[in-house]
Amino acid sequence: MTRWCLILLAVMALPAQAALRYHLEPKQIAPDTWMVEGKTENFSKENGGNIVNTAFIVTDAGVVVIDTGPSLQYGDALHDAIRKITDQPVTHVLITHHHPDHAFGNQAFPERSLSALPETTALLERDGEAFSDNMYRMIGDWMRGTQVVLPTQELAPGPLIVGNHTFQLWGFTGHTGADLVILDKTTGTLFAGDMVFYNRAITTPQSPGLNVWQQELDLLAEIPFERLVPGHGPMVTDDRAFRQMHAYMTWLDALFKSSANRGLTANEVMRTPIPGRFDSIAEASYELIRSTTHLYPRYEQAALRMLPEE
Amino acid sequence: MLRHALLLAGALASTGLAAYPKDPYGSPMWDYNLERYLGEKAEVVLDDRVNLEVPPFAEDSSQVPLTVDLSGFDTPVQKVITWVDLNPIPHLFTYVPQTRVTVVSLNFRVQQATTVRAAVQDESGVWHVGSAHVDAAGGGCTAPSQASSDPNWEEHFGQIRGGAFSPANQSRLKVYVRHPMDSGMVGNIPAFHIETLEIRDTAGGQDEPLLKMTLSESAAENPMFVFELPDAPPQYEVWMRDNNGNQFQRQVGEAL
Repeated sequence: MTRWCLILLAVMALPAQAALRYHLEPKQIAPDTWMVEGKTENFSKENGGNIVNTAFIVTDAGVVVIDTGPSLQYGDALHDAIRKITDQPVTHVLITHHHPDHAFGNQAFPERSLSALPETTALLERDGEAFSDNMYRMIGDWMRGTQVVLPTQELAPGPLIVGNHTFQLWGFTGHTGADLVILDKTTGTLFAGDMVFYNRAITTPQSPGLNVWQQELDLLAEIPFERLVPGHGPMVTDDRAFRQMHAYMTWLDALFKSSANRGLTANEVMRTPIPGRFDSIAEASYELIRSTTHLYPRYEQAALRMLPEE
Repeated sequence: MLRHALLLAGALASTGLAAYPKDPYGSPMWDYNLERYLGEKAEVVLDDRVNLEVPPFAEDSSQVPLTVDLSGFDTPVQKVITWVDLNPIPHLFTYVPQTRVTVVSLNFRVQQATTVRAAVQDESGVWHVGSAHVDAAGGGCTAPSQASSDPNWEEHFGQIRGGAFSPANQSRLKVYVRHPMDSGMVGNIPAFHIETLEIRDTAGGQDEPLLKMTLSESAAENPMFVFELPDAPPQYEVWMRDNNGNQFQRQVGEAL
C-alpha cells in the first residue's frame, strides 16, 4: 500500500517539476561571447525570475560567466547551456552585484570561481536571507533548493586577463552601492550589469541616489564599446540605452523634487502617470511605486525645514 | 405590524453582526474589527467618498504610506478611525477634527498582506467606511526599528522638520518627527511611540485643537504626518506626546 502511494506521488510530482524548466537560449553576440537574455518583466511564478541577462565568454583558459541568475535551477540550466557549447570548465564567475536575480544561481558553479567586489559579497551576506524569503514568495517552487552562496574571490577595479581575453573592471555605486562593470577589451563588449537598464525601468532599493547614479553613467558612457549588454533589456550597439536612462532618471528626479516642493504624499506620487515618451520602458508604473518608497522620503525631508524647539 | 418591525430591528441590532453590510473584500476580520472599533450597535455603510489609498503592494513592510482623502466627503465629520485588519494591533489612528480636514496621511507597518479601513463618522453618528488592500511580504510590526540598532539614535530623537504647502490653494501641513515608534513586539525593545498629536490654531480664540489624533503601534518609525485643513489659517502649533511622557511642540508657519 505504502509503495503504491509513493509511486502515485512520484507520478503526480513529475508533471509539476517538468513544467518548471528554464529554457535558456544563449545567443552568440561576439566571438567567444554568448548572452542569455531574460524578459523585461517583474518576478513572477510564470517567468521563474528569468528576467535578467547573463552572459559567458569562452576563453582558451576556461569560461568566464557573468552573473548566475535568480535560482539554483537557473544556474544549473546556464551551466548546462555552457557545457553544450564548450568543453572548457568554468573558471571565473563574475557577480556584478548582490541582487538575487544576478547572484542566486551561484550554487551551480564551483565555489572557488565565484568572484565579486568585496562590498558586493558583504551586501549579499547582509541582505541574502531577506532576499531569499522574498524570492520564495514571488517565484515559489522555482526557488526549490536555492541557498545563498557567497563569492570566495575578491575582484578589484583594473585589468583581468583570462587566457586569450583581456578584461577591464570598474566598481561603481549607483545601483546598489557596489556595481561591477566589465569590458572585454578583446571583443569590445561592455557588460554593464544593472548600472544600465534598457527598455526596462530601473530598480532603486539600495541606490545611493539618482544623482550619484547619473554622474556615474556619464563616466560609464566614456568607455568605448562595440556592444553593450545591460543587466536588463536587449543589447545595444550605440548610446541609446544611456540616453534613455538619462531621460527617465531626469524625469524621476524632477518628479520627486517638484512633488516634495508641493507637499504631496507618497501615495499621490506613486500614482503619477508615466509620460508617453517612456512607453518603451517596461514596468515603469510598478517601479515608480518602489522608487517612491526608496527615494521620495529624502526629497520630502529636504523640502521641510528644521523646526526649532519653543 | 410596526411593533413587530421594531422588535425585529432591535433583534438585528442587538446581534450586531447582521446590521453590518457585506465586506467587499471578504476579510475574516471585517465584523470583528467593526464591532471592536465602532461598536456592536454602530450603523455602518460602505461609502466611495471615503477615499482610502495605499499602494497595491508594500515595497517596505515597515513603511507603507496610507492616505485618507475626504475631499469628496461633503458633510461634517465627527471622528475618523483607521485600522489594518490583519495586524497584531490593527488600530492605526483616530482623529477628531474641529475644522474640515480633507487629507490625512501617515506611514504604517504591515505584518502580512491585508485589507485596511477608514471609518468616518458623520454628524448623525453613521459610520462611512472606505477600504483598500495591500499585498506585502510582511513582518513590519515585528522588525526592529532602525533606531534600535543605532547607538547614536538619541542625537536625532525628537528632531522635527515641517512645512506648510498650498497645493490647489489649500493649506497642507507636513510634519516629520524622528522617533523610533517601537511597537513593543520586538524582543526586549519595549513599546515607545507617539500616542497623541494635536494641531492647534496659534491665532488663538479656539480652545479645542483643530485636530486631535491618537496613534497605535501600527504607526511607522520616523512618522511623516500630512494634513490638509482647507479652512484653517496656515499658522499652526503642533503638539505631540509619546508613551514615555516626552512632549514635542513646534510652530509651523507660512508656505515654503
